[in-house]
Amino acid sequence: MDILSHLMMGLQVAAQPYNLLVAFVGMTLGVIVGVLPGLGGANGCAILIPITFVMPPVAAVILLSSIYWGSLYGGCICSILFNIPGEPWAVATTFDGYPMAKKGQAGRALTAAFFAHFCGAILGTICLTFFSPFLAAFALRFGPPEVFGVMLLTFSAFVGLVGKSPIKTLVATALGFIMAAVGIDIVSGELRMTFGLTPLMGGFNFIVAVIGLFGIGEIFLTVEEGLKLEGVKVRMRWSDITSTLKDMRRYWKTLLLGSFVGVWMGFKPGGATPASFMAYGFAKESMKAEDKEQFGQGHVAGIFAPESAAHGAGTSAMIPMITLGIPGSPTAAVILGGLMIWGLQPGPMLFVDKPDFVWGLIASTWYGNIIGLFIVLAFAPAFAAVLRAPFGILMPLLIFICSIGAYAVNNRMIDIWYMMIFGVIGWLFKKLDYNMAPMLLALVLGDMAESAMRQSLIMSQGSLLIFVQPPIALPLVVAALFIGCWPAITSVRDRIRMRRLKEGKA
Amino acid sequence: MTTKTADIIVAAAIICLGLLVGVDSLRLGAGWGLEGPQAGFFPFIMVILVVGGCLMIIRQAVKGTSSVKGSKPFVPKGGLKPVLTVLVPACGMVLLTEVVGLYIAAMIYLVTYIRFVGGFRWRTVLLASVPIPLIFYWVFEKMFLIPMPMGMYGGQILRF
Repeated sequence: MDILSHLMMGLQVAAQPYNLLVAFVGMTLGVIVGVLPGLGGANGCAILIPITFVMPPVAAVILLSSIYWGSLYGGCICSILFNIPGEPWAVATTFDGYPMAKKGQAGRALTAAFFAHFCGAILGTICLTFFSPFLAAFALRFGPPEVFGVMLLTFSAFVGLVGKSPIKTLVATALGFIMAAVGIDIVSGELRMTFGLTPLMGGFNFIVAVIGLFGIGEIFLTVEEGLKLEGVKVRMRWSDITSTLKDMRRYWKTLLLGSFVGVWMGFKPGGATPASFMAYGFAKESMKAEDKEQFGQGHVAGIFAPESAAHGAGTSAMIPMITLGIPGSPTAAVILGGLMIWGLQPGPMLFVDKPDFVWGLIASTWYGNIIGLFIVLAFAPAFAAVLRAPFGILMPLLIFICSIGAYAVNNRMIDIWYMMIFGVIGWLFKKLDYNMAPMLLALVLGDMAESAMRQSLIMSQGSLLIFVQPPIALPLVVAALFIGCWPAITSVRDRIRMRRLKEGKA
Repeated sequence: MTTKTADIIVAAAIICLGLLVGVDSLRLGAGWGLEGPQAGFFPFIMVILVVGGCLMIIRQAVKGTSSVKGSKPFVPKGGLKPVLTVLVPACGMVLLTEVVGLYIAAMIYLVTYIRFVGGFRWRTVLLASVPIPLIFYWVFEKMFLIPMPMGMYGGQILRF
């Protein structure tokens, strides 16, 4: 009941007219940002962070989280109508979404995707509401070694479970930590890695990195591939909604499964992409034979599963962000960075110190997703029209807007240059399978991870045993080592198997 | 250039960067100070990871076990030109920003790009490129009071 009374308080905060307006604006911007190639949720939030400086923190976090939900909704418009996945987790949607759109069922495919998003969002928000307070209360007992353990677990999850090349993920993560260390050392006050250059003294700002890596880099990739945006025209009809409601009744198990997979996977960092593929696979397996053949040719359940999983994962990525201060997705990382800029200390203490902030955010997630559903249902064709704007006009505008965002963070001209450099790095890294999400996370969490490590070592006077002290740090670190070494374990296992096979043959 | 070569070059560049950082963290001290780990301790561990990891990446690339297809050209045929036509004018805009400020630089950039790279008619060019920087000027400088770079002369030109 405690949670419900907190939620009511949060609703009171979030339902103030100003905050409602902010959520509405954020949602609309978010959908646009999600639709546009080269801009995702992370980027949209990063560019708008400067505007949040003049807002109270609650309104600011509502704006950024609404952009996040909006971009999740908007992403599927791109993948269904244009066969271009705006985000990696939207790839699975193109399998069935685009064929449906080509068959003339674009409206039905879109409504199906929107309602699937809504289901994922509801399940994710339920978990966010009822699970976070317990996790936060538990995390209050964390000291530096435990915090370090959680960080280790986060990054080893990236190395072990996400991405095509574990070793490149590891390198990218370490590079992120190195970039975070550039500038003034917060413990000793010494200048690190500046090599006597003044521009390096301020360090690298992660918002600039986000805009460069994900925004400018994505633009380079788009023009290099010579992307032609030729989409299917869409008209939404009332019959689409009624038929989707019928589909939902028929495939409610798929929806529930997708949402559940999404929430479960999204809780771990980088979980949204595997979640959407897993949900698609599960949905296909659970179908009857005649439905199974339809998969890949435009089956509505093939939209339900990945989309509900993606939104579920996106929502539950906020749980570790708000309770532990560890973001589960790049967008959550940007919101976490915003928190730090607004002068809030991320972590479990937020639930104690700033209940209006936390519960305002959670309450706004509830109604934000409902507003989002109505916005996309009503205006989907209008949002799709944004994509038909000629790329020759859109692209220079995007670069202009990105420059504004990069400059406004710190009012430093050098940041616009950094943004361009990060753009080139992002382009190179994306082509060579370096995973940029953990690099970004490392840049955000660098100071926290480093000070947790150094504080622990100071506490133990140099003994590494402090990282494996029971009861909390030990399982965290053991799990982290196991997951991080998983690719190595599997490759050794495969090698042994291969050898056995050869011996068996011989 | 094949993807394999690019893979190796990028990894080698990262190693060089790592060594540079490594030298600096050794200068700061990567060991145990008076009361705790020195300032170079954490970066030094990261350098070990980066250099070791990149050596493995190079090994994978040479042996052909990398996750990227090594034999494919790194930039597909005709792919480099569009990238440069985006990158070079954009850098030009940033350079201009140092002189006349972001808004005027953006306006010049938009006009040039939309007209000469995009190939649109002058009417479209002006409709797209003149109002938008002005709207942004009004939103940022007047409504939210967030200053944008004005360069050396921008502040004197934009006086409204």
